[in-house]
Amino acid sequence: MESIADSLLLGFSVAFRPDVLWYAFLGCVVGTLVGVLPGIGPLAGISILLPATFGLDATKAIVMLAGIYYGSQYGGSTTSILMRIPGEAASVMTCIDGYAMAQKGRAGAALCIAAVGSFIAGTFGVIALTVIAPPLGAFALRFGPPEYTALLVLGLVFLAYMSSTSLARTLLMACFGLLLGTIGIDVMTGHFRYSFDIPELGDGIGIVPVAVGLFGLGEILSTPSTTITGKVKPPRLAELLPNREEWRQSAMPIARGSVLGFLIGIVPGSAHIISSFLSYALEKRISKNPNEFGKGAVAGVAGPESANNAASTGAFVPMLALGLPTGPVTAVLMAALLIHGVPPGPQLVSEHPDVFWGFIASMYVGNLMLLALNLPLVGLFVSVLRIPYAYLYPLIIMFCIIGVYEVSHSIVDVWIMLIMGIVGYLLRKFDFDPAPLVLGLVIAPTFEMSLRQSLVMSNGHWSIFFQRPIATVLLAICVLLLALSALSLIVKRRDWRAKLAEAEAGES
Amino acid sequence: MIRSTGTDRAPALGSSVILRRDHIAGGVFVVAGLAVYAVSGDLPFGSLAMPGAGMMPKLAIALMVVFGLVLVLRAGESPPWGEVAWSDVPHAVRVIVIAAIAIALYQPLGFLITMSLLLLCLLVLVEKRNVLRVVIFSIGVSLFAYILFGSLLKSPLPHGLLGF
Repeated sequence: MESIADSLLLGFSVAFRPDVLWYAFLGCVVGTLVGVLPGIGPLAGISILLPATFGLDATKAIVMLAGIYYGSQYGGSTTSILMRIPGEAASVMTCIDGYAMAQKGRAGAALCIAAVGSFIAGTFGVIALTVIAPPLGAFALRFGPPEYTALLVLGLVFLAYMSSTSLARTLLMACFGLLLGTIGIDVMTGHFRYSFDIPELGDGIGIVPVAVGLFGLGEILSTPSTTITGKVKPPRLAELLPNREEWRQSAMPIARGSVLGFLIGIVPGSAHIISSFLSYALEKRISKNPNEFGKGAVAGVAGPESANNAASTGAFVPMLALGLPTGPVTAVLMAALLIHGVPPGPQLVSEHPDVFWGFIASMYVGNLMLLALNLPLVGLFVSVLRIPYAYLYPLIIMFCIIGVYEVSHSIVDVWIMLIMGIVGYLLRKFDFDPAPLVLGLVIAPTFEMSLRQSLVMSNGHWSIFFQRPIATVLLAICVLLLALSALSLIVKRRDWRAKLAEAEAGES
Repeated sequence: MIRSTGTDRAPALGSSVILRRDHIAGGVFVVAGLAVYAVSGDLPFGSLAMPGAGMMPKLAIALMVVFGLVLVLRAGESPPWGEVAWSDVPHAVRVIVIAAIAIALYQPLGFLITMSLLLLCLLVLVEKRNVLRVVIFSIGVSLFAYILFGSLLKSPLPHGLLGF
């Protein structure tokens, strides 16, 4: 515990540097805007701004990009409550009771409860991350290639299990991503794979063009400007404070949402979305007045908003400690660290303590900044929605092109972005979630390397995965999850995933 | 015989099968997987003891084809093909064409001209906005982005024939 305190002191000495504070602030502001604006999610926001961090050191870059991520969770609640438009997917559940509260004239109280809940949950998540990540990283030092292979398989299976679309669709997307990840030179044999004599493809397909194409351009292509409305009346500053009864009703949902969200955040999948749904379901189930849900229940705002923020922080645990991205956003953040020469994983704490602890300390500061920003400036953020979407999306396309080109000054990357934008548009038409594709692309090199190394180590025997205890346990969990999925197909019951899919469809 | 229809009725025995969204989606991935497999001929699979460069891609292709087939087989749960909404296609095609032209011109014409034209075309041709206002907006925003990225963030933007 003493060493954690010392390390946190080191982290705060980094996080309180004026330049780091500035980039944390910038990330929080941009993240809030990204969360407020419909049609651009945290992934697109992070991907587009990733190249702008190339001139920074790794600490400032990750502090700013992570600020965008958790800032978007704060911002997403604003449009959900005031307009019943989820600025980003995790705010879907907040629409229901948040908007109902706004209709009753309690919009300010709903925004305040969402912001305070997000702050408490975010801070709880960072404390838990501080305590859990270093020992988990130390444990992961015992992992060899078979354990990493099993861990990555588990990540994909977990993602498929947690997905609100079908298991086959999610795994199909992940395999598509894995296939895209094999493009380029095979590092073990030097073979060129699918590069078709295009030199730029020799290095493989970058994550930024794919992520920006799928989530930035793809979203724009499927959102004609006539579908976006921009009329909203923000509450006045005096109306922001909840009354005593509203504070009392929100206290326990915030506490439960924080714990639940963090635990779900650690698990691969679209954790921040799932956590808000599960928190809503939990609050409704244990409420003494379940009939109030849907009509402006305070717990229906406090629980989900706390859960999605805690989940965003929880998702950093496997990323920082194991080098395992649990979703597309952490995958892009991981790519950002790799671009800056800082590989996330078990060695991160020991080899780059300033980056690791500086990042964690900046999250404490960032949560405070977001609380200070979101309440007084809610009117300012909402006014961004007055920019007509017809003017907004051409700007986003411009920033997509600039962002992708600046990664490696390659026009081939920009063409890849356009192609992936078309792919993303078509995938949405066919009800595919592009997130597992990005995850597959990111883990492909590590997965291939660890799988091949495992087979070489065992002289071609698959049994190596069942002779090592950690790998065996991880694969046993995979089998269990696949069996549970198969069971839900046979029994045909509507589990929480089916309800989540319905809720998402209902709000989109 | 497979027919496309806009109605979601259960097929009667002996009647034609309704073409559904997942028939197309799964079929596309199966065909794409087989096509990629066909161009993977020169990639050696190797042996299990010494896996080659082709092992991972071929495993991914095989799984993609399998899951594509699963989608086709379970397509009955998806909506009929005729119910998939395509009303946004004209908007998407116009945006794609304009973006593609902008990408093709990005290096030859440089940042400032290309981005001004990109914004101008999107707002005038796709969104049918007032030309004079759009010209001012396009040039102003492009200039701002040029100064922000080129001068303040020191990003090497393409300068093109005219030097900007």
